[in-house]
Amino acid sequence: MSSEDCTNRIPILEGIRNQGKTWEVLAPRYGVTNENPPWKTSLVAMCSCLGTSEALPALDIRESEDELADSVYCSVPAPERQLLALAHTMLDRGLVTETELADRMTQIRSRLEAV
Amino acid sequence: MSASHHHDHPHEHKAAPTVDEITDFEVLEIAVRELAIEHGLFTAEEHRRFTEWAESIGPAGGSRLVAKAWTDPEFKALVLENATEACKQIGVDWSEPTGFGTPSDYTHLIVLEDTPTLHHVIVCTLCSCYPRPLLGMSPEWYRTTNYRRRIVRWPRQVLAEFGLILPEEVEIRVEDSNQKCRFMVLPVRPEGTGGWSEEQLAEIVTRDCMIGVALPKPDRKVDTHPVRKALRPVGSTSQESSK
Amino acid sequence: MTAKLQQPTKARFKIGDRVRVVDMPYLFYSRTQMYVRGVEGTIAAYTYEDLIPEDEAFNLDGEVEQYYIVRFRQQDIWPEYPFANDTLQTESPERWLEPVTTHKKEKSS
Repeated sequence: MSSEDCTNRIPILEGIRNQGKTWEVLAPRYGVTNENPPWKTSLVAMCSCLGTSEALPALDIRESEDELADSVYCSVPAPERQLLALAHTMLDRGLVTETELADRMTQIRSRLEAV
Repeated sequence: MSASHHHDHPHEHKAAPTVDEITDFEVLEIAVRELAIEHGLFTAEEHRRFTEWAESIGPAGGSRLVAKAWTDPEFKALVLENATEACKQIGVDWSEPTGFGTPSDYTHLIVLEDTPTLHHVIVCTLCSCYPRPLLGMSPEWYRTTNYRRRIVRWPRQVLAEFGLILPEEVEIRVEDSNQKCRFMVLPVRPEGTGGWSEEQLAEIVTRDCMIGVALPKPDRKVDTHPVRKALRPVGSTSQESSK
Repeated sequence: MTAKLQQPTKARFKIGDRVRVVDMPYLFYSRTQMYVRGVEGTIAAYTYEDLIPEDEAFNLDGEVEQYYIVRFRQQDIWPEYPFANDTLQTESPERWLEPVTTHKKEKSS
């Protein structure tokens, strides 16, 4: 079980992580008592769906998640850790590229902020 | 988190508080999901169905099952002989949302009965399989490698960290759910609950009691174990060498 | 355990049989944990018939076989485990188990 955290960092995910805007920090600041962010069930659903996909069979996700959770993302609280680990695994396997991800995030943010 | 109404004040109507910013985590989740769908990893419909299922589950089902087993001997016998059938009777259907269960919960539930001399605790060392239809989403500590590795090797130590210390005469049985069976603990009904209704009993059957890291008590309605680092985490040198 | 999820049709072992977890090489991944390899235990329950996980994961057309709950004494799994009464159970497909024909000396703690 590797505890090295100097390899295999993905810049776009590091950027997100380093902002530190986890639910654990934000919820108390805004007085919200829900234990989990609203996207948590969507993340769980994604992991269930991917559990049936050939690209990322369930035990594989779990192993990747474990390795990443114990190393690169060990200081991130759940569920952000799980989300980062999933994104990281998908990027690592070339299921998604960093550029695609960055572009899509920009689009989504403008969509959400326009409301 | 209830809305407060102050009609006699000139202030705005106060809604429930929300986190009023769009975090990159929120955006990342949507991005990953949309790209996964576009790349054909799953369909939007599948995702929607699983999201609805994830939102529908919670530990209340498990609490009801235990409370009913405590008060109804015939139901208890059914729980031990055919747990998924017993679940249907309290409104939990393990075949949701696909008709065949989910790809990690399946449909093979076994409820483990505690006795005064036998205490069960559940784990999944390989991943973190958990009886989600009955207990909802697994707690974060259950998913950590720290819990999963140490509860099989040093169960009494790990339980002590949760505040649960049992005499040596009590057999502690760790159930590692490494295949398709899913497990839940049926704890011993505690003293001091004579004459209680099912609703009252369900209130003291918390998630931690059904995992086996806590015992139900008449005055205990909340799982309050601290979110803490293990006393002897994996990799620590203060303990014996691992394995 | 009273649970018996399906009626076994061709189980090699019966409840109470002494078995040992075999230590087989496997090609891809296995759900038989390293910590029980070579350890002796007792059949505690039948669960269901199914494909073995290795076959199932890659959709090969394998046969089904019986799965069991196997119970181990913790003192038989771990060196110097201090508590004689404690046990551990896991689930195993039949092919990962072999009968114990002689009673080996139990490990001293």
